[in-house]
Amino acid sequence: MKKGRIKIGWLLIPLIAAIVITIFLSCSKDLNVSDFVAGDAFTDSKIRVVLIDTFTVATSTMKFDSILTSQSSRMLLGKYTDPVFGTVRCSTFMELLPTSYTIGTEAEYDSIVFYLGLDKYYYNDTLQTSTLHIRQLQKRLKPKNGDYFYNTSTVDYANSDIGTLSFKPRPLIGDSLGIKVSDSLGIDMFGRLQDKMITNLDEFREYFKGVTILPDELDQGAIVGFSLASDKSYMRLYYSTPEEEERVQGHIDFSINTVSSPIPFFNRITSEEPNEYLKTLTDKEINLMSSVSDNRSFIQSGIGIATRIQFPFIKNIYDIPGQGTLLEAVLKIRPAGQSYNDHLILRDSLSLYIVDVNNELTEQLSQIAVLNRANQEFNDIYYQVDLGSYIEKLQLAERNTGEALILLPDNYNSTIDRFVLNGNNNSKFSTILELTYAIYDADE
Amino acid sequence: MTIIMTFGVAVGQSQSEGLTSSPYSLYGLGVINQTSVGKSNGLGYTGIGVKTEMEINNLNPSNFALIPQYSFFYNVGLSGAYNNYSNSGDNEVRTTLNFSNIAIAFRVTEGVGAGITMIPYSDVGYTLVGLQSNIEGSNEIFESNVSGIGGLSDLRFNLGFRILPELRIGLSSSLLFGSIEENETFQISSSTFESTETTNYRGVRLGLGLQYDLLKNITMGTTIQLPSSLNGNLKRTILKNLDGTEITVENGTVDDITSFNMPLELGLGISGTFYKKLTLSADYKKNYWNATGQTENIGKYSDQNIYAFGLEYLEDSKGFKYIQRMRYRIGFNYDDGYLDINNTKIDGFNLTAGIGLPISRSTNSLLNLSYSFGSKGQIKNVLVRENYHLLSLNMSLEDMWFRKRKIN
Repeated sequence: MKKGRIKIGWLLIPLIAAIVITIFLSCSKDLNVSDFVAGDAFTDSKIRVVLIDTFTVATSTMKFDSILTSQSSRMLLGKYTDPVFGTVRCSTFMELLPTSYTIGTEAEYDSIVFYLGLDKYYYNDTLQTSTLHIRQLQKRLKPKNGDYFYNTSTVDYANSDIGTLSFKPRPLIGDSLGIKVSDSLGIDMFGRLQDKMITNLDEFREYFKGVTILPDELDQGAIVGFSLASDKSYMRLYYSTPEEEERVQGHIDFSINTVSSPIPFFNRITSEEPNEYLKTLTDKEINLMSSVSDNRSFIQSGIGIATRIQFPFIKNIYDIPGQGTLLEAVLKIRPAGQSYNDHLILRDSLSLYIVDVNNELTEQLSQIAVLNRANQEFNDIYYQVDLGSYIEKLQLAERNTGEALILLPDNYNSTIDRFVLNGNNNSKFSTILELTYAIYDADE
Repeated sequence: MTIIMTFGVAVGQSQSEGLTSSPYSLYGLGVINQTSVGKSNGLGYTGIGVKTEMEINNLNPSNFALIPQYSFFYNVGLSGAYNNYSNSGDNEVRTTLNFSNIAIAFRVTEGVGAGITMIPYSDVGYTLVGLQSNIEGSNEIFESNVSGIGGLSDLRFNLGFRILPELRIGLSSSLLFGSIEENETFQISSSTFESTETTNYRGVRLGLGLQYDLLKNITMGTTIQLPSSLNGNLKRTILKNLDGTEITVENGTVDDITSFNMPLELGLGISGTFYKKLTLSADYKKNYWNATGQTENIGKYSDQNIYAFGLEYLEDSKGFKYIQRMRYRIGFNYDDGYLDINNTKIDGFNLTAGIGLPISRSTNSLLNLSYSFGSKGQIKNVLVRENYHLLSLNMSLEDMWFRKRKIN
């Protein structure tokens, strides 16, 4: 009996060894790594991928009541008449901030000049001559209600210029303009500073409330952007002091005040007599469907005209047979032919925002629609943006909130870019949504 | 019995980790394992008509009736494969090692024997890279990578009865179980997609066997495996990456509509011993896959014929010299395949050789070493040819139980 037991035990040794080897081998997963390419048709993917571009893209145009322009990153100046958007006019209002209040008693007045530094932004034709008029404000820059000025705001100003200049803008070279300001203003201001009648900002503001710079009524050129930086755009009062050997030059600078609160600066941007469709946009809750505006939708930054996009039947994704999931959603937005040219240019990108059912702006999407010019020679250029996660959110949403995407340039409070876009009407150049959808189970 | 359970766990593990087999394991339940218990691995996998009292013959349950009094058989096996896959432009080598079986058999009473065996039924292990498919509705394609892993195990209970001195019948009941995991991944622009489907199969298959001694040295046998259906339970996980965000579309969704139909399998075998030294064995099996009505996206299942021949030489099992007690085996097996792809069946053959080394004089314990060279498929059009070398080692151990008590 004892002997028998020992023998069974001995026999178990190879069995235990086998277990150990098996478990050891079980753990060496790397054996399964392979890059062997079986024949093309050896098997098919079990997953079908389909591209669907027939989902309705409902485009319309809306117009915000106003755009907050006291936070513009530049001055916008100029005037032109747009075939679609009407007479576009940009002027700017500002308070000036002296860098010093001290002028020596020996000093004598020389001149006063307003310098404007170009900041490379422009829209429309820069080969035309533009004229700028500087006028003194008659009232302090204080918002009527709230803390901000808007593109529709205005402040009373004098009827006569304190300075004017005609020029051909060369914005890409980025030089600056110098506008001679009236000597009577200069001498008066010099005297008050020298006589210490003005010794602080409050006293200065009471004396000199600010200026507006206006385009000429006959201008038909470019809207040009000017820098707000104190080393690019400023008013400079020159004087000189006689010393023993020679006269010593001195000056006081007046920079644009963008630091006080509320900010005493804004761009006034208006667009008069646009086309009949845009005239109907009198309230921001009006949605002008592309179907009733010649299959067009519109964007004009600065003014606040935006193209609004909805996907009303997106839940029909569920009607695709089988079980599947969205892999990609690409929105392609096509500018209308002949709506743009070398002057009325298309910007390279458009930003996307979400508005609620009342067209109240709620958030900005991180995605950007980028202009794809690959097929420009066939007149097929379009803005393209990946909306996968946004479309999936709409698809999974329990109810339709009535929200919409809107398209506007990123810095819409500092530009006056305009776009005319095609709607979704099955034509070759229409705006479409391309969905890439994977069906992983053909049975429901 | 606890040993068996331990091994059940061990086998289950080796299965689920799925040591690689073949691109052909993409279809059905994977590549069906031919390696069996004991000496048949060296004999071209013949055994239906082989009568043996000295070890486990898992190919015919009626043979379990012949287990001698006081004997208790164990069998444990390992197999290692060296595979070489090639198609018209590519070629790859893989080496794998697998647990191949664990079995026990014992006598219940006079003329009645029973056994429990656990062998891998099928093995799945494939990786296909760069499968190109059309994005419907466009001229674009996407490239996916597909891989599979897993396999099924066959836990079989056998019972053999001796009806007449020359006639034995047997019953077997197989529990087939295991899981197969299939994974597919692809990328379209910046989005990625990954699908993982794990199918758990479970089912019972009944079999009958019969052996009849035509003459003292000639035995014929027949086996039937009844058709059955394995219930499949599919668990699916779908992941995707949309606009840079990882999203779980489905996680462990259960879908139990998949089942797999096992065919009716008939086997016929004969063996004869000549000059007391040479044993010839031949098997023919037909598996009726047509009747299961199953198809794959590449082809359909089609009736399968397997022809097998084996020859064993044994000088003298009671010889004084060790070398006289050694067994030498060779065999050949041809399988015309069960997958029909564009009217081309994936056929294959095996050449086998083996030796049996006795471990002790007092028992029938043997160490069996077998080698098999096989080839499957062809390098034609889309198919893949697979050449493989299979080395299997198994220990067939006999333990004498209860006999010692008498001596004492």
